[in-house]
Amino acid sequence: MIEGLYQALSLSTLLWLTVGVMIGMIVGTLPGLTATMGTALLVPFTFALPTGEGIAMLGGLYVCAMFSDAIPACLVNTPGTPAAMATAFDGHPMTLQGRGQEAIVASCFSSALGTVFGAGCYLLLAWPLIAIALKFGPPEFCWLGVFALTIIGSLAGDSILKGLAGAAIGLLISCIGISHGNELSRFTFGIPQLQGGVSLVAGLIGIFAIPQVLSMVSELRRKEFIAEYKPKGGETLKTIKKVMEHPWHVLRSSAIGSFIGILPGAGSPIAALVSYNEAIRWAKDKSQFGKGDLRGVTASEIANNAAAPAAMIPLVTLGVPGSSPAAVIAGALMLRGLNPGPELFQNDGALVYSFGWSLLFAGIVTFILGSLFAPLLVRIIRIPLRLLAPLIMLLATIGAYAIRNNIFDVYIMLGLGVFVFLVKRLGFHPGPIGLGLILGPIIEPSLIQALYISDAIGVGKVFFTGTINISLIVLIIVSVGLVVWTRRKDQIQERESASVKS
Amino acid sequence: MTQHNYLRKGILGAVAGAFVAITAGSVSAGYPDKPITFIVPYSPGGGSDQQARRLQPGLEKALGVKVRIIYKTGGGGAVGFGELWRSKNDGYTISNVVVPNIVIAGKKASVGFKAGKFSYIGMTERAVGALMVPKGSKFKTLKDFIAEAKANPGKITVAGVGSTGKVNMAALGSILNIKYTYVPVSGGVGKMIPMLLGKHVDAGMTASNHAVKHRAKLNALVVAGSKKIPALGNVPNEPKWEYMTTWGVMAPPGTPADRVKILNAALLKTTRAPSVANAISKGGYENLYQTPAEAAAYVGAAVKKFGN
Repeated sequence: MIEGLYQALSLSTLLWLTVGVMIGMIVGTLPGLTATMGTALLVPFTFALPTGEGIAMLGGLYVCAMFSDAIPACLVNTPGTPAAMATAFDGHPMTLQGRGQEAIVASCFSSALGTVFGAGCYLLLAWPLIAIALKFGPPEFCWLGVFALTIIGSLAGDSILKGLAGAAIGLLISCIGISHGNELSRFTFGIPQLQGGVSLVAGLIGIFAIPQVLSMVSELRRKEFIAEYKPKGGETLKTIKKVMEHPWHVLRSSAIGSFIGILPGAGSPIAALVSYNEAIRWAKDKSQFGKGDLRGVTASEIANNAAAPAAMIPLVTLGVPGSSPAAVIAGALMLRGLNPGPELFQNDGALVYSFGWSLLFAGIVTFILGSLFAPLLVRIIRIPLRLLAPLIMLLATIGAYAIRNNIFDVYIMLGLGVFVFLVKRLGFHPGPIGLGLILGPIIEPSLIQALYISDAIGVGKVFFTGTINISLIVLIIVSVGLVVWTRRKDQIQERESASVKS
Repeated sequence: MTQHNYLRKGILGAVAGAFVAITAGSVSAGYPDKPITFIVPYSPGGGSDQQARRLQPGLEKALGVKVRIIYKTGGGGAVGFGELWRSKNDGYTISNVVVPNIVIAGKKASVGFKAGKFSYIGMTERAVGALMVPKGSKFKTLKDFIAEAKANPGKITVAGVGSTGKVNMAALGSILNIKYTYVPVSGGVGKMIPMLLGKHVDAGMTASNHAVKHRAKLNALVVAGSKKIPALGNVPNEPKWEYMTTWGVMAPPGTPADRVKILNAALLKTTRAPSVANAISKGGYENLYQTPAEAAAYVGAAVKKFGN
């Protein structure tokens, strides 16, 4: 491990790491350019470098993109990658209140915290953690997905029914395309491009960016800018202090992010959403969530960054990438004739540890660069709406196209965007729709696989035995129960206050 | 106001720079005199991506132009294959091809392409089917596996990728005369490995290249085909089991024969280079060196076998 530290500390490794971080800053900020695409585009350039430098650069990009995706999420309510969806819930209201700089600095600092925690897990606890992660099979993933669905209770806004309907719409959209298991075409209406399903990234851009652009356009006469912004000195230190006021919250978000990051197939978006939901559950004062609570931003950003180094743990211990960018990094290693997994750990442990240290340093470099650039980045909201709206539209279109080089994804994005813009006026929140879109690809395949396994072993044994299954089921019941209970309490209070008034 | 302008210019500059970087390439007389686009119909980091990346430097050297790799994923490869079908057949757009995947995907009328009609440049490597269990499984040999399956029919769970895995396991199952429960996995072999290691399923249906990659944690019980795989040591082979996956390179239908010939020569030069040839065989693949006619016949045979 010490040898790995020396390698990671070499000047050229740090230099290329910083280059990766800077590219990640751009990649994450632009909606549609995901960390996966960024790393894939960068792979050919890394061949000119030694292995350690090359993967440090890719890791730097990945880690920084998990921070910079918060920039458009907070400023213009458009997550830069799917992982920043939950960041926007409180980050954008903060910007509207003139606290844009605070939101960005908090995202940056939380991202660094999350990264350092996740990388710490990679360096110290890789093997014990992966042993627990392997206990997650199809039924466990299915229950985890259902548990994540209970987040609707926090996202739905005024009407839980509209929240449920929104999530159902999201889940249905995620069903489009060739089905799991029996491979039949579903809801494709004979359109071949729909066979591959609706791309998650294009879908999320549609759900978040397009309605944002449309409402900017409709507000043009009344508003010139998104929000007020006056640069303040000393904001960085003040914000860091504010984040650290909740050490338990920081620790919980880091732990959730790291653990969900390790589970192959779950990834940063789910880590951020679960962490956001738990932040609300454990907070004493829940009233400000969704309206600009700093803890909402930090919960999401700590978790999605902790998940990034954690997603490398299954790669180096089992040879199975924990996320799509990790898969690209695995490909880059294999092209060098290295076999990521237990063999690499044994034959070239120094490289594996140096990568872990590089990920940790990437968090620190991200923080330094991010907090330096934060005042500049926040100026995006000083672009007048009449220029900002077309700019977001342009970036959204490029992003939706670039994800699969498919013009059809752009149409899907536009169609979904207009749909969400309209239903928003009926009181639907885009959050649950996005949630359904993210969780569908986790719940459905694992449910189908678990049902097939049930054919051999029996439904009861597959779904309702085992510590993890039982714990998740209990968590689901408690979550749903709490939502029902608090909603009923609020209703009774409202009724009482209404009767007092009359 | 000036600051906004700088920011805007910065963003525009970055976008413009990216486009310049993407479109830049070297120019020379005759075919090929501009960059060639190489479509990969599967996700970055997967087997097809690795094949393309392995070939890219050699092809660039042999052809004297840039080879740009782009991903057109979805529909089990159907999206990328369909894209190539609709591309101009001037030899400047080529694609990776996987047999029998292209035949199985092309069976549906709605995909809009016919597997037999592409201009094939050559197949480069082949992996054979492998039945795998985690190290520490109660099945040490194929005999243990068969005995358990006969004692408790349908109780053994075998995971595989989609319908291709299902067809292949069915073939092996009927050769061994056993009953099992098939569990479909989508999203590639990578998704199956944790299920195997966590003992959520008893066995997995993959191919020899994956068996080599994961040999530290998984044992292969049997491989398909008429010979053993050197990289796997002493794992027995089942000659009656004919499952194999083949990777190659193809161009749109009706690409001029002289250009296909130039591409084929470049491909053979690349795959015969010792560094590439060794990387392929060490990965658990069998190296293939084909002429365009041999490649077309190879796909033709697969169409006959899987097309109906």
